[in-house]
Amino acid sequence: MDETKKISFWESKKKQNFIISGILYVIAWAGALIFVVPLVWMIVTSLKTPEEIFTIPPKWIPISTITLNYDLNIKSQRDGIAEFSKRDDGTRIITIDNFHHVIPESATVLVKKRTKITKGQVIATMPKQGIVKIIEHDDKTKILQVVDENGALIKQYQLPENIKLFVKDGDIVKPGTKLVRINPQWQNYVKAWAPEALDETFNRYLLNTIIITVFGITGVLLSSTIVAYAFARFRFPGRDVLFLIMISTMMIPVQVTMIPTFILFKYLGWIDTFAPLIVPTYFGGGAFNIFLMRQFFMTIPYELDDAAKIDGCNYFQIFSIILLPLVKPALATVAIFGFVYNWNDFLNPLIYLNSTSNYTLALGLQTFTTMYGTDYNLMMAASTIVLLPILIVFFFGQRYFIEGVATSGLKG
Amino acid sequence: MEKKSKISMSTHEAIWGYVFLLPWILGMIFFVGGPIIASLILSFCEWDLIQPPKFVGLDNFIKMFTSDKRFWASLYNTFYYTVFSVPLGIIGSIAVALLMNQKWKTVRLLRTIYYLPSVTAGVASAIIWMWLLNPDFGLVNYALSLFGIKGPLWLADETWSKPALIIMSLWGVGGNMIIYLAGLQGIPQQLYEAAEIDGAGLWGKFRHITIPMLTPVIFFNLIMSIVWSFQIFTQVYVMTGGQGGPSDSTLVLVLYIYQHAFKFHNMGYASALAWVLFIIILIFTLLQFKLAGGWVHYEGELKK
Repeated sequence: MDETKKISFWESKKKQNFIISGILYVIAWAGALIFVVPLVWMIVTSLKTPEEIFTIPPKWIPISTITLNYDLNIKSQRDGIAEFSKRDDGTRIITIDNFHHVIPESATVLVKKRTKITKGQVIATMPKQGIVKIIEHDDKTKILQVVDENGALIKQYQLPENIKLFVKDGDIVKPGTKLVRINPQWQNYVKAWAPEALDETFNRYLLNTIIITVFGITGVLLSSTIVAYAFARFRFPGRDVLFLIMISTMMIPVQVTMIPTFILFKYLGWIDTFAPLIVPTYFGGGAFNIFLMRQFFMTIPYELDDAAKIDGCNYFQIFSIILLPLVKPALATVAIFGFVYNWNDFLNPLIYLNSTSNYTLALGLQTFTTMYGTDYNLMMAASTIVLLPILIVFFFGQRYFIEGVATSGLKG
Repeated sequence: MEKKSKISMSTHEAIWGYVFLLPWILGMIFFVGGPIIASLILSFCEWDLIQPPKFVGLDNFIKMFTSDKRFWASLYNTFYYTVFSVPLGIIGSIAVALLMNQKWKTVRLLRTIYYLPSVTAGVASAIIWMWLLNPDFGLVNYALSLFGIKGPLWLADETWSKPALIIMSLWGVGGNMIIYLAGLQGIPQQLYEAAEIDGAGLWGKFRHITIPMLTPVIFFNLIMSIVWSFQIFTQVYVMTGGQGGPSDSTLVLVLYIYQHAFKFHNMGYASALAWVLFIIILIFTLLQFKLAGGWVHYEGELKK
């Protein structure tokens, strides 16, 4: 009796854990979905036409079809006396109790001037079918018209570049006919890459960013490893105090050093050059990176150094021949963090770079948004262009991100 | 010749130590220490970079605290942002880390997804959020409308612009999640096993093992989170075109410093503002070190 009770207790506990784990699993995925939505939405939006952006409910797949759609019978919206007028472009307006009905040229009007109309009464009929007419513009956009046999316009659609036509010139179509499929607008990326409203293309921004990033990462790698080597492998007076100072610089806000540093670079004549963004990386490479490298050096046994010393290696040789190859994963981590930092950095380029030809991707993207404030499809395409390299590096270098954080966050 | 004396060996080592340290020492002098002192001196001056600097004593600080409404607004906005984004961020990242510490087959993929937004932080993600928070066609307000809630104007509304920034900051909890995850994985499994034998349930284990063992990580993370959140800039600059609007509701301290330094060219006043920021961060950091004894648990460290 006692025995069975115990087993069922364990069983129930197991079951309970299983249920809890299941609930957590669902929560984890629901959260992940929310986290990934902004990036997915960025890509989806980047492939839409301007019309497709502003729809409620939002469209998740940037493919849409245009179906010929018009009412055969135009009905009055109000009770009243019909008044007629004509626009300059030839369309007719029937006004009933202050409500203006626009009657296309191709429609047949069924009511006479000054007659009494009741709400819901058919006042005009549209042709049951029309003929497709396609007009191409110079900029590759098209206009698709549906006209009646006299050439009078029934309906008109402005089409973007990237479409698939289901109908051809001269086809006879009825309401409900599928006319066009609008495909993902890949040319949004072309438009975003070389924006008409900006002096520079993203070629330039990309090149500038690559130059700054490459030299920046090199500086960080060189100087942070050397400094970390000193902190990890040498005994000298004041080492621990200096190390503590180094760690505490992580808590100094950059703004407090920003202004004098700016003035210094101004006197050196370095404003609007890449030097202020690159040169400081060669002087230490940042407290976080030094700390990270030091942690890695500490894990390597001293015996290796001693053995190398006996073999006649000097400190430089120990550093470059023995130790550096052993901390490759740490170098990768520092390089990847450096890449992300340089790629995303905004404040420094904003302060130091003035002419658009020197802009980085981050600055270029910001300028882009000020010029294309509501063209969210182009803004999302530009954002995707800027983020893509980061996403690629992230997927290939994930391990190093995680290792880097784990090493520095824990052993400190 | 071959055998150097012990003293000269250690002197030799020390000299080389300093040589290798040299880049950092120079960096400290020219890019950290020097500028800090220079900005302290500047904070007592008036300087537009054209006329020679003029010493004005405490004028900058007096003006700031007595008659500069925008300074108080920026201080309020920065505190508002910090007070909400830091605790929510820490709770959020611990919660996600706990989930990501489960032994599911797909957990690696999940970790990637949660971590991803923290590497995309910058101009691009600010733009993405401008679009997500668009009052009429944004996904956020659409999602709210599914629950029958009419979403606010977010970045165009004084009361909702700061919450918008906070929500955006929570998208980046993945970065801290990795730190906590590493912390969780460093907790010895025996502790949990021992607790289970003592009859501890899930909550008991969480409350009496996970949280105490995690406190050193939380402590470090809390300090850095506050330091970082006081420095919020890029998102605000991008989303408000460098203005901090509507009606200064997102004018944060760093943006205000930026405006004074690089738009109005008040180098002295901007330096004074930067020093106020520095002192605030310093006070918060020291306060936390002072309070740490009360809640940070260092038992794990003793084992080393």
